[in-house]
Amino acid sequence: MDPLATIKEKGLCKLGRECYKIISLEVVRMAVNATPQVFLFLSQILGKKMVDPEGRRIGRVSDLIVNIADLYPLVRSVLFLPVGGEKPSRLPWEKISEAGDQLVVPSLSRERQTEAAIGEGELLLKDSLLDKQIVDTHGAKVLRVNDLHLLKVNHSLRLVHVDVGLRGLMRRVGLEKAMDKFFKWFFDYHLADYLIPWRYVQPLSSPALLRLKISQTRLGQLHPAELADIIEELDIHKRSEVFQSLDVETAAEALEETDPKIQVRLIENLNPAQASDIIEEMSPSEAADLLGDLPKDKAEGILKEMEKEMAEDVKELLVHPEEKAGGLMTSSFPSLPPQAMVKEALDLLRQQAENLDLIYYLYVTDEEGHLFGVASLRGLLMANPQTPLSALMDSRVVTVSLEEEKEEIADLFAKYGFKAIPVVDETNRIKGVIPFKSLLEVVAPQLGK
Amino acid sequence: MPETRLETIRQPSAAKISRKGFWKILGVYFALFGPGIITSNVDNDAGGITTYSLAGSEFGLTLLWTLIPITLALIVIQEMCARMGVVTGKGLSGLIRERFGAKATFYLMIALFFTNLGNTISEFAGVAASLEIFGVSKYLSVPLSAFFVWSLVVKGSYKSVEKAFLVACLFYLSYIISGFIARPDWGMITTEFLTPTLYFDANFLTMAVAIVGTTIAPWMQFYLQSSVVDKGLKVEDYQFARLDVIVGSVIVNIVAFFIVMLCAVTIFQAGVKIETAKDAALALAPLAGKYSTWLFAFGLLNASLFAASILPLSTSYTICEAFGWESSLNRKFAEAPQFYGLYSLMIFLGAGFILFPDVPLIAIMFYSQVINGTLLPFILIFMLILVNDRKIMGNYTNGWIMNLISYLTIILLIVLSGSMIFTSLR
Repeated sequence: MDPLATIKEKGLCKLGRECYKIISLEVVRMAVNATPQVFLFLSQILGKKMVDPEGRRIGRVSDLIVNIADLYPLVRSVLFLPVGGEKPSRLPWEKISEAGDQLVVPSLSRERQTEAAIGEGELLLKDSLLDKQIVDTHGAKVLRVNDLHLLKVNHSLRLVHVDVGLRGLMRRVGLEKAMDKFFKWFFDYHLADYLIPWRYVQPLSSPALLRLKISQTRLGQLHPAELADIIEELDIHKRSEVFQSLDVETAAEALEETDPKIQVRLIENLNPAQASDIIEEMSPSEAADLLGDLPKDKAEGILKEMEKEMAEDVKELLVHPEEKAGGLMTSSFPSLPPQAMVKEALDLLRQQAENLDLIYYLYVTDEEGHLFGVASLRGLLMANPQTPLSALMDSRVVTVSLEEEKEEIADLFAKYGFKAIPVVDETNRIKGVIPFKSLLEVVAPQLGK
Repeated sequence: MPETRLETIRQPSAAKISRKGFWKILGVYFALFGPGIITSNVDNDAGGITTYSLAGSEFGLTLLWTLIPITLALIVIQEMCARMGVVTGKGLSGLIRERFGAKATFYLMIALFFTNLGNTISEFAGVAASLEIFGVSKYLSVPLSAFFVWSLVVKGSYKSVEKAFLVACLFYLSYIISGFIARPDWGMITTEFLTPTLYFDANFLTMAVAIVGTTIAPWMQFYLQSSVVDKGLKVEDYQFARLDVIVGSVIVNIVAFFIVMLCAVTIFQAGVKIETAKDAALALAPLAGKYSTWLFAFGLLNASLFAASILPLSTSYTICEAFGWESSLNRKFAEAPQFYGLYSLMIFLGAGFILFPDVPLIAIMFYSQVINGTLLPFILIFMLILVNDRKIMGNYTNGWIMNLISYLTIILLIVLSGSMIFTSLR
């Protein structure tokens, strides 16, 4: 039978169509050329009787050990509790054969069974996954593992899916059949298993699992805002573990999206050097907000470790209260003198775009920062590259003072529909720019949470 | 040169910090002194107030002394929960799931759901009873209060909910004021409070058991631990969490003390026979003045509403954590359907039950406490195994003295609960 059809028929995957295709193809690739292939659940293997060839009982299966480095981890060994024994022993999976409901162990290996030590790159399925929390990096959710779905091709056993559904839970309780019957009778509906492909699963049970190379890329698949939601949902210890497993750039992006209280906790757990590496990657205004919330000595320690230029920017922003224009603005915006050409402006934007908090407007200023006008990105793109900015810019700039209240600023945004508003001092020198996003976070913090 | 610049820049930002300072200190205060005190105040719910009033009006001051050992037991048990919360960062149901597996957790959660549903029903009974004193029909008061409680969580943000609850805690003062209005003989009360009296009489024992059952309830352990986790307390803050638990446990029993005392010096001495908290409130009018009645009724209303909001919330949190479902007040209904579904269902069933004509309110309150008592030993045993597991608690496991006290407490509770069930089934 076509494996694709089997998967489809059994409703093995609840995810979207795209993903379904990817998974199915992977499973097919693994199963190709292989005749006997069976799906089975960890809960069906745990507790199985193990016997020697004469049929004498040796013990019961207590866990499976897999190789974590595989895309779909291969089961290496079985951990079992010997009859009358207290400590589990391990046996290589390939030495074990199956007979009906029992696992048969060659008699010789009885003496050779090794101590149950877990090697490098190995993972205990029950101990580190079953009933524990995982991140579904495709659906961006924190879930609890109800069961594990394994695929047996010939004799090799691989972990392919994680079961997080109600059906998996009821299977563990021992009421799977009863629940199926109930659903059929009451709703005339067959409840499908809710399985997540292993490649979208990030285990969380130990810091070691998070530090694996393979894992980093998994959490990296998430959008920073989703990652922030997940971090917020975890308990206080796991938060730090997950956060510290991220690379500096991802950590900074996720941190920008995280609740301020949790931001402080996450940064407090780092040493100043680590913290400054991450904060340097954030936008100056976000960094200033965060440092303003930290205890004073901690914030100063981090500022000392930071690159000088960024530290200066942040210190300047720190002076202003968070709720007023001065606290909302960022100092990372593009500006050029009026005699500069459009070509220069576009080059500047192209080079700096990655590091600028704002690229939609270019501010035209003199060397002291007196604001003459503003040119929009659209205007720049449409203009002749040899036009001077003074000819192109709009000199009727709507500005706010450093002390402007957030409500007034919100009114201006609503009235004019700008993406950003510049902040000037008494002598019309530009001090920073408020991007719409920063304002939105202050005026409507509940949105998107 | 850069050094001096840093100083000048620091100056205004220091002002910024000090402006925030007051709120920060207040925030820290609530962060550290929150969970234990809220839990304890919810503990004095409709069932609690009824039991305390009955104890005072039927047995006078003779049961007052039991509040001393109860306070100690409450501190011992809640301290373990707070410790587990701080050390593991996980809720109790999450720990139980990870340590004991899906099957045990599943049945425990089912039992907890029905136990807490029983408690919720008795909270709405309390709402109905207290507002009837003010002449409001239960057909009006119960649906309105159910909607109020439901919208508080589903529509409101977490912040306002928490503030509402914290303010509500202050209303428990009304019992203490009522106690003073009654002008009791303090010398006699002190003597009775410090002398243990025990009658081997079935009614007396049942009442003693009921007081224990209503003061130490299963849901509290889950709620307290989750709140401690929610507050994000660190191991360094643990001593504050412990203090919070101790203060909270003492507060519950101070309120209980005043209710028992108030009913003893008025209703018991006058020889009036009462059956419910409402009877108690009404009986107070001729004996201690109508303000006592109003304060008593108001206290009962607040206690019932407060507990009616927290019980369903705590139950949904607990169950969702055990099964890994989204559970957060920051999520919308569609994002956390199980969480809000369970929450709404409990309020709907809890309030709906009270609206049946001729529903036996006293029996409901009593039996909900019997179920509480039955479930409690199981949860305490789970807790003791967890708190002594080095893999989970590291160096924060129980010491032998703590274990001795907790085992004794648990054995005593099992014996008491067992005897309560035995007497109630007889």
